Amino acid sequence: MRFFLITILLSISSVCGAHQWPALRGDASATSSIRYTGDEVLPEWHYSYKGNRRYETGMIVWASPALAVVAGKPMAFIGGYDQTMHALDLVAKEARWRKLTNGEIKSAPVVGTLDGLDVVVWGSSDRTVYAVAAYNGRQLWTRELIEASNTLGEAHLSSPFIHGDVLYITAFVYDKSLPRNKQKGVLYCLSLRTGTVIWTEQVSSGFLSSPVGFENGGRLYIAVCARRGLLSCYDVSESAPKLAWTFQMPHEVLGSPAVASDTSEPLLFLGSKFGNIIAINALTGKEVWQRMAGNWIDNTACVGKIDGQPVVFVGSHDYHVYAYDARSGELIWTRALGGEVFSVPSFFEVNGQPFIVVACLDNHLYCMDGRTGTILNAYYTGQPVWDKIAKGESVWGSASVFASGQNSVAVYGAFNAKVYSLPLFGSCSLQAMARSVKSLWVTLLMVFLIFTFLVLPLVLLPLRKSV
Amino acid sequence: MSRWLDIIENFLASLFSNIKLVEKGLLGLEGSYVELLTILALGLLAVIPVMVPESNRQRWRHVNQIFGIAIFIFVVFTCLGVFGMIRNFYRGLHEIGRENIIALYYCSVPVTILVTSLLFGPAFCGWICPTGALQEFSGFITRKWTVPWKKAGYPFSWVVLTMALFAAAVFLLWMYRLSMTRLFFIEDSSIYWSEVLIILLFILVFRMKQWDARLRRLRYLSFLIIVFGAIMSLRITSPVHFGFAKVYDPASFLSTVMVVLAAFTIPMVWCRYLCPWRCVIAWAAKHSVRSIHFDSSKCITCGKCGEVCDLDAVKNGIIDTNECHMCYKCVDTCPAKCFSIKDNWKK
Repeated sequence: MRFFLITILLSISSVCGAHQWPALRGDASATSSIRYTGDEVLPEWHYSYKGNRRYETGMIVWASPALAVVAGKPMAFIGGYDQTMHALDLVAKEARWRKLTNGEIKSAPVVGTLDGLDVVVWGSSDRTVYAVAAYNGRQLWTRELIEASNTLGEAHLSSPFIHGDVLYITAFVYDKSLPRNKQKGVLYCLSLRTGTVIWTEQVSSGFLSSPVGFENGGRLYIAVCARRGLLSCYDVSESAPKLAWTFQMPHEVLGSPAVASDTSEPLLFLGSKFGNIIAINALTGKEVWQRMAGNWIDNTACVGKIDGQPVVFVGSHDYHVYAYDARSGELIWTRALGGEVFSVPSFFEVNGQPFIVVACLDNHLYCMDGRTGTILNAYYTGQPVWDKIAKGESVWGSASVFASGQNSVAVYGAFNAKVYSLPLFGSCSLQAMARSVKSLWVTLLMVFLIFTFLVLPLVLLPLRKSV
Repeated sequence: MSRWLDIIENFLASLFSNIKLVEKGLLGLEGSYVELLTILALGLLAVIPVMVPESNRQRWRHVNQIFGIAIFIFVVFTCLGVFGMIRNFYRGLHEIGRENIIALYYCSVPVTILVTSLLFGPAFCGWICPTGALQEFSGFITRKWTVPWKKAGYPFSWVVLTMALFAAAVFLLWMYRLSMTRLFFIEDSSIYWSEVLIILLFILVFRMKQWDARLRRLRYLSFLIIVFGAIMSLRITSPVHFGFAKVYDPASFLSTVMVVLAAFTIPMVWCRYLCPWRCVIAWAAKHSVRSIHFDSSKCITCGKCGEVCDLDAVKNGIIDTNECHMCYKCVDTCPAKCFSIKDNWKK
């Protein structure tokens, strides 16, 4: 009885709000923002959860959050290395529910709607896709994508992409037993209602990005990129997927494609580890333009609209954020930040003014003017939990935004193990421009002392024989 | 001052970013970014020493080095950095069975170098390595000071001390600038190698003759640190890395400048004391099919072989395989033709 009441309540609220987060970064254009028109104030909140997990070098800590308004409440869903999916009520400042899985959650969840019920879906490294009710975490179904075996290596499941009552997700698995030589990057199509696998398609023999979908001429296309740079686009309008085109990127790709589908010809944007950002005609797979950043672009681009014109925002390891005209590739602005821009920019509008929010390896989150790139606010989000990092091998989580006028907040799972909900225009305790140059000189001094007084005397011990 | 440093850095950044002449890897393996051209170019450049005529061998060698720089810095996308190759090899081994294409990409360059070194001796160092080539070409500029210094047995020299002081001043000034404008990460650790290089310069100004052989042990330490770093998933970029990676990487660029400045002072200083690859190459050289033989009965003890060797790898005709770069300078310079190249396939 209670379940039915909740379902009816949720159905009503969902119909009224109809908020969804169907793809990795909210939608195919990866803006990663959602509107909240409610009256409740979104406060500053620093959420932490003490799991028992041991941290590893450069690990993902938190994946990107998915945002949704569930039963009138703005909520964030975020998974991480603690193997748990957290549902955070951003108004009440409490975790509404937590769902423990058997593996790390390295990719962002998505929020879809099924018969009026908001459903959170995510993939975990335990090779399983989970679907739960967004409101209370009640499990709807789980689907183990890959059958376990003694020699199976770690599985990598992407963020799902939801379209109608179907969801698409990629998984990479390999077999540690060399004679079997099983290396499969597979695109799965599942029923959102039951989790039943409708079809599978092996895309590559390696890691795969999250699938991104776009519609054109009544047909649905799914683009997915293998880590080794092979971008594949499938027409999935019929009962079986049909390969539409492929495009070879110049180098390794860690991010996922972003799509500007409301232009005359849909364009797909993807960055590579050689710093290229490439615009590709999403229907033909032909390159439209290509630009270079000064270093890796190892995350997804974001496509926003300024004055009706699509603009691509992308961060690079050369410390810069770039804004390009999506159609011509013309550079609109570039802005240097204090460290490698590893994250995907989030795009949102307040009173017609465009803004972006982007996280940076100088441990700051920046809010910038989308039109000029001017830095409006910087938030210090803490030191990483690991004491050393391997850049360029992990895709760390990026921020998402609840756009609610002056009440807007950025939700960000920082690598200091906290999830922040930070007011973008109100006062915030983390507003800072902290930076220290002392550590560099201290380490140089330490190297000098260690080398001179420890290494050199050992090296200069007499030789046994002349070299 | 700050404004001038700003202008200089922006100029360097614009000059050295995007230095690749092509936008995509040439001869790419289908469905991946793996460049077969890298392996092909490495193999070809390693075969050249076997093919070139003896008469103009040193000229051919420099052409080979220039061609190596042109190919690996301006054309192919694969990293030939001395740190990166070790780390990549370790990563490639891990990818075997998981993603074989990426394993091929990461293992191909180090394996090609090792195989060619086992076949043709450590010719990679003397004929191909861009870091080595940069040092050798830098050394040409200050030859008129360093050669007499070497002939005199490395006594204290004000000229050499001045060059070391200049290198140290550039390093400190640049570090000051970078510390104000950049945050540094583990992968920028090549600046510590640069610091050690500067300290070594000062030590060598005063104690080159006495401590040269002992300080070469530092290469083992360098190798161990890089291997340990690779196991710990630490990415440390080497000097010249910025050239391979199509990026303006300030720390790697600074390290490259320091290697060049240090090579003005002491020829091939990086190879002598800090190159971690030397440990591996030396092992391959010992087991190589190709080797240089010395006929002591012909020797007229003119000492030319030792004089021309930038690495002090030849002493009285005896070649130290731990140090030899297989540049054949000694072979080509010897007036009595004491040296001969032999291929022993039974090895």
